[in-house]
Amino acid sequence: MKKTTLWIGAILVGINVVIALLTLVWLPYDPTAMSGGRLAAPSWAHWAGTDRLGRDYFTQVMIGARIALTVGVGAALLGGLIGTTLGVLAAFAQRGFDDALAATLDILIAFPTLLLAMLVVAASDGASLGTAILAIGIAMSAIIARLVRILTKRVLAQDYITAARCSGLGWGRIVLVHVLPNIAPTVLVAIALQFGLAVIAEASLSYLGLGAPPPNASWGQLLQSAQSTVFNAPIGVIAPGLALMALVLGINFLADGLRDLLDPERGAA
Amino acid sequence: MGRYLLRRTFVLALSLIAAGLVLFVLLRLLPGDPSAALLSVGADEAQIAAAREQVGSDLPIWMQLGKFLSDLARFDLGKSFVSGAPVLPEIMTRLSVTLPLTVASFLLAIVIAVPLGIVSALRADRWYGGLLSAVSQLGIAVPVFWIGILLIWIVAVKFRLLPASGFPMKGWEDAAGAFRALILPVVTIALVMSASLMRYVRSATFDVLGADYLRNARALGASFPQALIRHGIRNGAVPVISILGIELASTLLGAVVVERVFALPGLGSMLLLGIQQRDYPTVQGVLLVSTLMVLLIGFLADVIQRLIDPRLRETVAGR
Amino acid sequence: MSTKRFTAQILGLASAALLAATVAQADPAAVIRVGSLYEPQNLDNTAGAGQGINEAFNDNVYEALFRLNDDGTVAPVLAEKHDVSADGLTHTFTLKSGVTFHSGEPLTAADVKYSIERVTAETSKSSRKKSLSAIEAIETPDDKTVVIKLKSKSISLPYNLSYVWVVNDAAGDITGKEDGTGPYKLADWKRGSALSLEASDAYWGDKPANAGAMFSYFTEAAALNNALLTDAVDIITSVQSPDALAQFEDTSAFKISEGKSTTKQIMAYNDRVAPFDNVKVRKALARTVDKKMLLSAIWGDRGMVLGSFVPPTDAWYEDLTSVDAYDPESAKALLAEAGFPEGFTFTLETPNYDPHPITAEFLKAELAKVGVTVNIHVITANEWYTKVYQAKDFQATLQEHVNHRDVGFYGNPDFYWGYNNPQVTELVASAEASDSDAQQADKLREANRIITEDAASNWLFLYPQIVVSNTKTTGYPVNGLNAQFFLRGITKE
Repeated sequence: MKKTTLWIGAILVGINVVIALLTLVWLPYDPTAMSGGRLAAPSWAHWAGTDRLGRDYFTQVMIGARIALTVGVGAALLGGLIGTTLGVLAAFAQRGFDDALAATLDILIAFPTLLLAMLVVAASDGASLGTAILAIGIAMSAIIARLVRILTKRVLAQDYITAARCSGLGWGRIVLVHVLPNIAPTVLVAIALQFGLAVIAEASLSYLGLGAPPPNASWGQLLQSAQSTVFNAPIGVIAPGLALMALVLGINFLADGLRDLLDPERGAA
Repeated sequence: MGRYLLRRTFVLALSLIAAGLVLFVLLRLLPGDPSAALLSVGADEAQIAAAREQVGSDLPIWMQLGKFLSDLARFDLGKSFVSGAPVLPEIMTRLSVTLPLTVASFLLAIVIAVPLGIVSALRADRWYGGLLSAVSQLGIAVPVFWIGILLIWIVAVKFRLLPASGFPMKGWEDAAGAFRALILPVVTIALVMSASLMRYVRSATFDVLGADYLRNARALGASFPQALIRHGIRNGAVPVISILGIELASTLLGAVVVERVFALPGLGSMLLLGIQQRDYPTVQGVLLVSTLMVLLIGFLADVIQRLIDPRLRETVAGR
Repeated sequence: MSTKRFTAQILGLASAALLAATVAQADPAAVIRVGSLYEPQNLDNTAGAGQGINEAFNDNVYEALFRLNDDGTVAPVLAEKHDVSADGLTHTFTLKSGVTFHSGEPLTAADVKYSIERVTAETSKSSRKKSLSAIEAIETPDDKTVVIKLKSKSISLPYNLSYVWVVNDAAGDITGKEDGTGPYKLADWKRGSALSLEASDAYWGDKPANAGAMFSYFTEAAALNNALLTDAVDIITSVQSPDALAQFEDTSAFKISEGKSTTKQIMAYNDRVAPFDNVKVRKALARTVDKKMLLSAIWGDRGMVLGSFVPPTDAWYEDLTSVDAYDPESAKALLAEAGFPEGFTFTLETPNYDPHPITAEFLKAELAKVGVTVNIHVITANEWYTKVYQAKDFQATLQEHVNHRDVGFYGNPDFYWGYNNPQVTELVASAEASDSDAQQADKLREANRIITEDAASNWLFLYPQIVVSNTKTTGYPVNGLNAQFFLRGITKE
């Protein structure tokens, strides 16, 4: 049962990765070429029909996979790294610094990713994938840090830490030996969730018109432009939505499966 | 606890001031002069200058800051550059849409997620435990606006069961209309939110099930349900409350997208329009108020956590 | 002048009779529910309220001395009589009697003077301010007479006055309230969602065919369409994408009307900077773009391809699509002549809202055929005003120009696109000083031909004006010139 989850996740993510890599070297159609009629229904020539400009929609959904993975991996790495570091530091820090950091995190969390994205975009002269990754990564790091801080404090409150401290173990060792392994499963679940949420956040930014510009059309942008034609061409809304769901689902399954592998005790419970 | 509360309140106030300053500076880094929102093609130099004077963007930035701070001290969020209307009353009107939307979604999500999450963990080996877990996986894998678009398409347009968008002009005076208008948006948010909450509840339940204190309690003769209720929920609730705080905050902010999908005149649509028009007073006002609310939520979550788990208190006090 | 007024009155009578025939089964107590994408920012058209306020208030809440009819003609409203002195510099207007504002105060000449000065005032943000710059002084010899003295002749004065709301001079700040003479008064306004109007009992003219109107505002076209589909509104004022029309075409429950808009999408070059200071380059790019294909991509079989900046509702329109017709081969030759045989690269400032991003992508693909590389730079409307319109810091940009009779922008060398042809500047100025409409039309037609031969900008297409309503609702304007939406004739069963 546990293995099944892992496998399904691996397959879903694998398909997405393969498609994303494939788009670098080969595409069914030139994504800018008007190769069919406007809003054509799905056919053998166009598996997901065509968009308003008669461009092959399947090609665009394929490119969307690459965009989604880039944003997701980038933001998860950035957010996970910054977030874990800040969280552990805050948990160990003296009262004043801890409070200051906790308050900063609260503000960061309160700060909409939306405006953060706009500011990053503005500061770097135009929206791009990089700006989306930066904005979402920063927003994500605050959430991870907040969680890591609380989890670390819980670990530090355990008796064996006091014992370890008494036996002369340094804080650095305590973090490596006791804290990180203990919090890893929960943080991993959180980062996995955040990976998926990063893909979704990018889609939301694009939906609001704040995403990366064409030709880097993400699934969110496809959804936005297909929204007004959902009645005559529902495939335009369904295809990118399903693709997005498959990727995020795959990532989450993969993370779940991995957690069970890393933490066999829990699997047995 | 009293001293902690005092200190935490002080931090809250400082955070708010810091947030205000940060907002002020960041907003002014955006390209595009705010006066442009008042102009149209054909505007001449004199009109441009007059518009800049009206919004104050002709003043040096430190003077703008001074005015902003002195207004803030008097709880005056200023007047919109674009409409000329005071920002605070406008925010209050908008909150009458956003707050019910957020709170109702949040409550509905908890009602769905907590029991289902616990069941899916306790019965992970049964088919329905697995099914619940799988459904929650699907739920967190979709963007909230996708659910919204699909719900509008099917429920509102195909079957005409509920309004597709909008909010009654009379607001809550037309209670039935307002209620009907919020059903679909609330369901949309709650569906997506309960999926992720369910995962946390499930994960926390697993943590509790594997924990020593539960084993100890059972070894001391407590029945499994007794042990779970007496020790499990209390311990499992700690991380869940932290998550709940974050989720509530992100629902409030996530309302931007949902309000857009359902054309609701809430805080989110006010913010979005304000950003598009570089209407600084509007953006500052909305963000300050929403930051305040998010900080308050975080504050409450922290305090509740401490009440439940005294060990958190001891770590700080002990060092 | 008087013959013209007479004709207009006869036309008015005829349309009133026509109206009477359809009113038979209409419900006079009906409130027309209008869905729109253009929410007014405030209620004052001189305070940067946006086009939404014209839609809701022009001729509905506020009237002017003249009205721009839906067919593009100008008819008197509050002006009963209009006399022009022999030198064309003194215009005398006699006001209609028995007209009162919604507040109950009577209309006087002082109100008209106040209203015109509101638009020409220092603080006015009206886009029409410049068009009234010929006014030297306004005199009010008595309560019923307004005398406008001009510095130079202005044939367009009545037309320009059609934008000037007549506001009660005691009204003060009207960004949040109104005091007009129109058939409707403001009943309620809820920022961010709706604005409602109700028929005014004290209106001086014929009662409207309905009891009021309710404008509901949307930010997403999809939500707007859904509102009509689910019977939350009766009519939607401007459909932004043809693809959504399929859902209204299928059924007998809806009616689609296509009128002529004045909204033109153009790619404006910065004519001051290389390579766009070279007329050959501009002509080459004009010939490279298959505008028919672009139009059909964006609007299906609606709208029309433009050969120049002038839309068919302007009297000086002529079909100039053949001047730089689609011909990529000759474009390549022109580029080679201009010194760019291998093409060149430029940045296209693209507003971030529809249809500009789609058009930008299309242009990028088209221009690639002649070796020209387009870097698409997406900007917000604010950045457009700051960077392109004010600082003129751009190479080329996409923009839609919505105004009626706006070819005169090419007569202003300081305009953002920097087109500077003294001959055109002269023609535009002398057209305004014409003695007759025909003379004005001739001069502007000539100017437009020169502008077109110079390929001053790349005029892409004219948007269709699409209004969709349920079949129960009739009598609405189809062209919506300058974003106006006359409510008084609309009936609902």
